[in-house]
Amino acid sequence: MAEFGALSSSFLVAAVGLGVPLALAALGETVSERAGVINIGLEGSVIWGALGGALGALALGPYGGLAAGALAGGLAALVFAAFAVWLNTDQIITGTAVTIGSLGFTGAVFQSRFGATGLALELPTVPAWEVPVLARIPVVGPAFFDQAVTAYLAYLLVPVLGWFLFRTRRGLSLRAVGESPEAANAAGVPVVRTRMLAVVFAGLTAGLAGAHLSLVHTGTFAENMSAGKGFIAIAVVVLGRWNPKGVVAAALFFGGAEALQFALQAVDADLPYPLFLALPYVLSLAALAGWFGRSRAPEGLASAWPRG
Amino acid sequence: MRDALRLRGVTRRFGPVTALDQVDFALAPGEIHGLLGENGAGKTTLARVAAGILQPDAGQVVIGGEPLGARGVGGARALGVAMVHQHFSLVPRFTGLENVALFDSAAWTRRGTGSPGYRERVEARAEELGLEVQLDVQVGGLGVVERQRVEILKALMGETRVLLLDEPTAVLAPQEVEGLFAVLRQVARAGAGIVLVAHKLDEVLAVADRVTVLRRGRWVLTGEAAGVSARELAEAIVGAGVDGGGGGVGGGDAGGPGTVGGGGEDAPKVGAAGAEQAPEPRPGDDVEVARLRAVTVSTGGPIPLRGVSMEVRRGEILGIAGVGGNGQRTLAAVLAGMLPPDSGEVQLPEEVGWIPLDRTEEGLVNEFTISENVALAVHGSDDYRRGPWLDWAGVAETAAALVRDMDVRADSSATQAGVLSGGNQQKVVTGREFLRSGELLVAESPTRGLDVKATVAVRARIAALARSGKRPPGVVLISSDLDEILELSDRIAVMVRGRLIPVPREDHNPTAIGELMLSARGDGDP
Repeated sequence: MAEFGALSSSFLVAAVGLGVPLALAALGETVSERAGVINIGLEGSVIWGALGGALGALALGPYGGLAAGALAGGLAALVFAAFAVWLNTDQIITGTAVTIGSLGFTGAVFQSRFGATGLALELPTVPAWEVPVLARIPVVGPAFFDQAVTAYLAYLLVPVLGWFLFRTRRGLSLRAVGESPEAANAAGVPVVRTRMLAVVFAGLTAGLAGAHLSLVHTGTFAENMSAGKGFIAIAVVVLGRWNPKGVVAAALFFGGAEALQFALQAVDADLPYPLFLALPYVLSLAALAGWFGRSRAPEGLASAWPRG
Repeated sequence: MRDALRLRGVTRRFGPVTALDQVDFALAPGEIHGLLGENGAGKTTLARVAAGILQPDAGQVVIGGEPLGARGVGGARALGVAMVHQHFSLVPRFTGLENVALFDSAAWTRRGTGSPGYRERVEARAEELGLEVQLDVQVGGLGVVERQRVEILKALMGETRVLLLDEPTAVLAPQEVEGLFAVLRQVARAGAGIVLVAHKLDEVLAVADRVTVLRRGRWVLTGEAAGVSARELAEAIVGAGVDGGGGGVGGGDAGGPGTVGGGGEDAPKVGAAGAEQAPEPRPGDDVEVARLRAVTVSTGGPIPLRGVSMEVRRGEILGIAGVGGNGQRTLAAVLAGMLPPDSGEVQLPEEVGWIPLDRTEEGLVNEFTISENVALAVHGSDDYRRGPWLDWAGVAETAAALVRDMDVRADSSATQAGVLSGGNQQKVVTGREFLRSGELLVAESPTRGLDVKATVAVRARIAALARSGKRPPGVVLISSDLDEILELSDRIAVMVRGRLIPVPREDHNPTAIGELMLSARGDGDP
């Protein structure tokens, strides 16, 4: 029984650790999609965040690295927003281009700086902070309250974003932009500015998620290390039904599926482990189809809005 | 006295179309100013420029003596301008209260969170204005009349110096128009200037102090409402010497399909006539083309249907009157075969023509040309097939005829649907649906928002269609415009709260039907 407790505890630790970057990126994307912009370029922000985090950590230490990662992700999102929002290009195509371009550019920057030798880069990592008292709770304590600062930021974002989206004027305006840009415009809400800011916010959190990958999770950088996390985050938003609380729960669920898959690989079970990676997507599709109750995407999601 | 609103030489273009051409306009505080003109005359554009939603290409907007400049909607709002839009500017998935708060800075504290007691203030204002508004329901689930009340309340929450209303009466029953006008008079007495965009001259003349007429983007006249006749105004709107003005509509004497009125004999018929010229009931051949038995719909449409039974016979026009939002849209969707009922029996012909209420959203592909939009309707017909290919030349010919017959203000049938004004888009959809009416035509407020000339054309077309050829379609005419119902219908029923009440022939008059329309309202209604 004690052994089971230890096992489930270590599984939970892994699940939360894998869920945190998804939660960060997905919480940002929630804001962006609530403003009517679906940012397929989120993956690009994640990989720029990972590289920015690595370079920043080498120059400024691990916390400087986190900040640099967030900034790098935000800049990638700014490029996306400049096209998809400012110039009103198609959101899906633009996002795809930003992602593919980012994977290439980050690889090029990495190779020009560290060579193509494949030598593992060692980075100063962000240590875990144990929260007094809470970390002592059996099983869940170490999993949730013995994590790096990025995890606590993700926890903090849930009530903050919930309050912002549903209790403040700017939150209401932002949701109006996502539901009906025409109505928002007629009510005097600056549609383009709102969308630009929302997208850049998503880029910042996605960049932080990327920095988490390089500075908390692995302590190194590798090309393409984002490994689809940005895309998964978009699925997380769907499963979490565009609501911060639901999104963070969905992120942990995806993290758990990934952790389970690693655990199964380790014990060499007679199951094709990628199955567990696929499961959350099935649920995302079910969520889109409305099998968990009605909660639809913002009506103006991916809608064009020309300036002027 | 300083003008509440003044436009100086305002010009606004949309691509190649000049919607407003150096227009001057002045609105005095406390006056109700009727703004008249045909579809595409620039009325809506003028209102939107004044509200700061559109920037003028040239000229100046001055509100209460202060130039608006490029400050947009927020700036206009701060100066006291509010607008009630024809197609509304509400977020469908927000509640009434959220929609009101979105527009009103008084709803928020300086920190940007909800201001305490705001809800009570909204309720008090609604009561003061005599507006019954549902604040906690998503507006997408409300009927069109209820949505309009939210929109009006939203416009009047702050300090309002200028109130712009775009076609507010198009969705209202006669009794409700009076209610709206009472609100407007109250607001005007409080010192605000009101611009009322409308098509029905008699309505405008009943409430307005002054009127201004626009034609094709230009100012034509401004005068005291008491000093001009409906006739003079109609001539100003259409333009002197314009041919094809249209004569009497209704009865059995309308021209064949595609011809508009008799031409030249008189100015277009204006306002509420019609009642006395209701057609004689004709001994239609009693072939049923559609039949509903105890049809109930409680999901899928915002307003449920409760046990609706009806039949439509070939060659008759069945008029369905009712205040908007009583289940008409749901009924139309069932008749169009778009919505399966929860229970009850539905028999429909194979092909049903449908002129939907929301013509811009459900009717047209904005990126397509008029021809291409016409092709969408006729591509299945053998008449437009040439071997395996679509007969584009034939389609273009039909589209050109449509543009001509319906008086669509477009350069040609190759014009993109999206650049047309709202009224002209409606003309395209309406004209197109006549092409494929099959055995049943469902027309939802087919003349809502149309100008006088197009209204005459559409009504003539409907009347002619039901009396044409060997196998005329049955027509279901759903409209909140009583004049229209009375003018065209062979039989009339009234839709109230999801039920359909037949009106006996001796009650085919505005008073009796109006009373029925409003009869069950307020019963058990919050």
